[in-house]
Amino acid sequence: MNAVNPPSRAPDGTGRLMERTCMRTFMRASALAATLAFVVAGCGGGSEKKGTGGTASGAPVSGAKSGGHLDVLSASDIDSLDPGYWYYQYDYMAVGLPTQRWLYSWAPTATTPTPDIASGMPKTSADGKTVTIKIRPGIKYSAPLKGRTVKAADIAYAFARDLNPRTGNGYAGAYYANIVGADKVQSGKTDKLAGVTASNDTTLVIKLTKPTGAISTAQALALPGTIPVPEDYAKKYDKGSQSSYGQHQVFTGPYMIKNNGNGKLTGYVAGKRIELVRNPDWNGKQTGDYRPAYLDSITFLGGNDLAVGSRKILSGRSMISGDYAAPPTAVLKSALSSRKSQVSIHGAGSIRFIALNTKVKPFDNVNVRRAVAAVINKNTLRLTRGGPALGTIATHFIPPDLSGFDDAGGTAGPGADFTKNPQGDLQLAMSYMKKAGYSSGKYTGKSVLMVGDNQPPASKTGEAVQSQLQQLGFKLNYRQVPHPTMLSKFCGVPKAAVAICPNLGWGKDFFDGQSMVDPVFNGKNIAQTNNSNYAQVDDPKINSLLAKASASTDAGERSKLYGEVDKTITEQAYVIPWIWDNDVNLESSNVAGVNNKFNVSWDLVFTSLKGGST
Amino acid sequence: MARFIIRRLLWVVVLLLAVTLLTFIIFYLFPSADPAALRAGRQPSPALIEQIRHQLGLDRPWPVQYLDYLKGVVLHFDLGYSYQNSISVRTQIFDRLPATISLAVGAAVVWLFIGITVGIISAVRSGSILDRMTMGGALVAISAPVYWLGLVALYLFANDIGVVKIFPGAGSYVPLSQDPAKWFTSLLLPWFVLAAAFAAIYARLLRTTMIESMAEDYIRTARAKGLSERRVILRHALRSAITPIVTAAGLDVGVLFGGAILTESVFNVPGVGRLAFDSIQNSDLPMIQGTVLFAAFFIVTANLIVDVLYAFIDPRVRY
Repeated sequence: MNAVNPPSRAPDGTGRLMERTCMRTFMRASALAATLAFVVAGCGGGSEKKGTGGTASGAPVSGAKSGGHLDVLSASDIDSLDPGYWYYQYDYMAVGLPTQRWLYSWAPTATTPTPDIASGMPKTSADGKTVTIKIRPGIKYSAPLKGRTVKAADIAYAFARDLNPRTGNGYAGAYYANIVGADKVQSGKTDKLAGVTASNDTTLVIKLTKPTGAISTAQALALPGTIPVPEDYAKKYDKGSQSSYGQHQVFTGPYMIKNNGNGKLTGYVAGKRIELVRNPDWNGKQTGDYRPAYLDSITFLGGNDLAVGSRKILSGRSMISGDYAAPPTAVLKSALSSRKSQVSIHGAGSIRFIALNTKVKPFDNVNVRRAVAAVINKNTLRLTRGGPALGTIATHFIPPDLSGFDDAGGTAGPGADFTKNPQGDLQLAMSYMKKAGYSSGKYTGKSVLMVGDNQPPASKTGEAVQSQLQQLGFKLNYRQVPHPTMLSKFCGVPKAAVAICPNLGWGKDFFDGQSMVDPVFNGKNIAQTNNSNYAQVDDPKINSLLAKASASTDAGERSKLYGEVDKTITEQAYVIPWIWDNDVNLESSNVAGVNNKFNVSWDLVFTSLKGGST
Repeated sequence: MARFIIRRLLWVVVLLLAVTLLTFIIFYLFPSADPAALRAGRQPSPALIEQIRHQLGLDRPWPVQYLDYLKGVVLHFDLGYSYQNSISVRTQIFDRLPATISLAVGAAVVWLFIGITVGIISAVRSGSILDRMTMGGALVAISAPVYWLGLVALYLFANDIGVVKIFPGAGSYVPLSQDPAKWFTSLLLPWFVLAAAFAAIYARLLRTTMIESMAEDYIRTARAKGLSERRVILRHALRSAITPIVTAAGLDVGVLFGGAILTESVFNVPGVGRLAFDSIQNSDLPMIQGTVLFAAFFIVTANLIVDVLYAFIDPRVRY
């Protein structure tokens, strides 16, 4: 989930998501052509009768049978083979969860971390600065380390790798920065991380510079950066500017990428294919792995067109969707009417929003921001992405299922008048403009710079925002650029002084408000490049609440604090949240797909074929 | 002729150098994403971004980076490693090249066969119903976007999602070395879809040039000498009319060797075009450089071949 879940499904937020987000938009563009093709070709949705139980629940199946092969159709590829790099939904789905065991992991329906390699939850010292974790003995590695077991030191080395720029980890800077010595590893002064040590083979000790709730509650330990990496084996690959360990990695999960047993992966062809087979050395049943691993083998086939692949899954057998965004509108509509039981729709734990730069006039004025929030027609914006199946109208920033959501008002939101009408309210917006000093109720100043994505559907969203703001008298200098450029040259660069960014998104890293609101609203996160505090919010109240929440190890207290932050964000209209995303996944009719709530994608270690190996 | 070829080969080297230099300059001077920032993830400190920039060698002056790159290419044919997945660029391109070449060559055979046949018939029967029908059809083929045509072809004829299940569908490509029969059948739909617009353009082009050459004095002379109409058309009229076709074909095939992004995408043929598209999205400079370099190489080589072919096709051309 990753800084926004899977790239392909990710809201167009952080820097690392763009690649697949762009692919998503590329695929979306294709959807228009696909729609027309359907008309021309006269192809309907197939002959299967309408599902009776609504869309696929994606819940774990009791009495599932073992065996069989599954194909996963994808548009693109995983981002890397390196466990230390994995950060996006498809990385987790394809390799992270099936091939490795994490210190803490996520059972399909869980919203709190599930101990995996760890034998229980972390124990935090009274001062909150020492975290001790016991790990299960006897977990085996695959060949070429056949017979060797996971030691606490292997996880300590994994933490050091996460912080080493050579690995390219996308979240270590956000969640592991408080580990003693993290700064020295990040700056390249040393490869040794002083703050994570193994007091013996089964005890991992993490020393922190200050109490860190995300680590003490294990949320930030339920990430693939905790996958054990045996230092003596990996060291030879962890050299040079980029590590090549991923291409020679050893596995601890029920599956492994097909390999020659000597550390060479033979089942991976970049951009085309990942072949997972059973890991003969997996001893999960003896060492507390909770995952059943029904399937015998799984192949990920990349490069599929979204429209064609979606139809293949729906009409074929033993296939599921991989990194796809929602299917094209025509395919989705058809599937929802005639193959409903093959469609799984779940909240993605991510948000799309419009950022108003508080350092650029006139958005330094809270009433102007509220006026913009009031005039935005969120329903129209949602339609530009495909309509209600693609998400719920957002009333505040933290999405459902995360701590802080209920405390911020739940689905109804905090109740500010300018967020109440999803169709927009021009009269209310004009009243706020008057409060801001514009006597006519319309903006009369200089034109403002808005920078958005140049690919549909995001470009369509931007155009809708433009049209809605024009009702309030705004003259926009609207630039549409490629998504990566939008983030790395405009919206993520304070010096660019972009007033409005209409195509932003952000997703959870785990079920905690921190990963949602801290990066985007903490004043200390305003950076000159790669800035994720797009509105440049430096609000003492929010900063103080975030500091308090970050240090808190009490889940209830964290939830209240993040809820309070969210209320303040909404009240001040720093950003305009407009949709909590859904992820749409597809399965063939003979697949009993299980959805993983954390990753909002199919969970392959719980998914099975109906009837077993058919 | 030998001097001409040597001179042109030297130009190939100069052109390729220019292309690599241009790609470097475009990457550095025009707005794009910062690969170090992309790799740095959430909330990176400026120091971390600098450290990554240093590790990737992006903190050195771009001329130094460029010279290092050239050294690698010339001395070791080393195209570097992808910023995205740390895998050798050369390996990835060579891995995908056979699919792209298969697609381009096969499509070229189809469009040349159809385009030349239709062009000749339309020129010889100029003004007839057949001529009007084929040229009308050509206009439709030119106007149809290849992506749309691909989808329609799949929805009609693919053996998995098609109405009439005749041809293997998307994702069925297998390398020639693995199974020649499957390779052939898996590429039939992509070949026809990719070839459709080209065939239409070539047919219209050849029709025009053929009509002009059929009106030339030497054609009348040939007929006066009592040569058969078949011989007049194929040996005399076509030979002079086909020069622009050869020029266009050389360029088009060269361009397609650099990748046919849409066709590769819709039929899931794992070629270089899709790789290039992805690398641009990811600001993956080494991969962009590699794919552009290969595309440029194929285009200039195809041009060279075309120039040499001129001498054989048209007796008036001498080097």
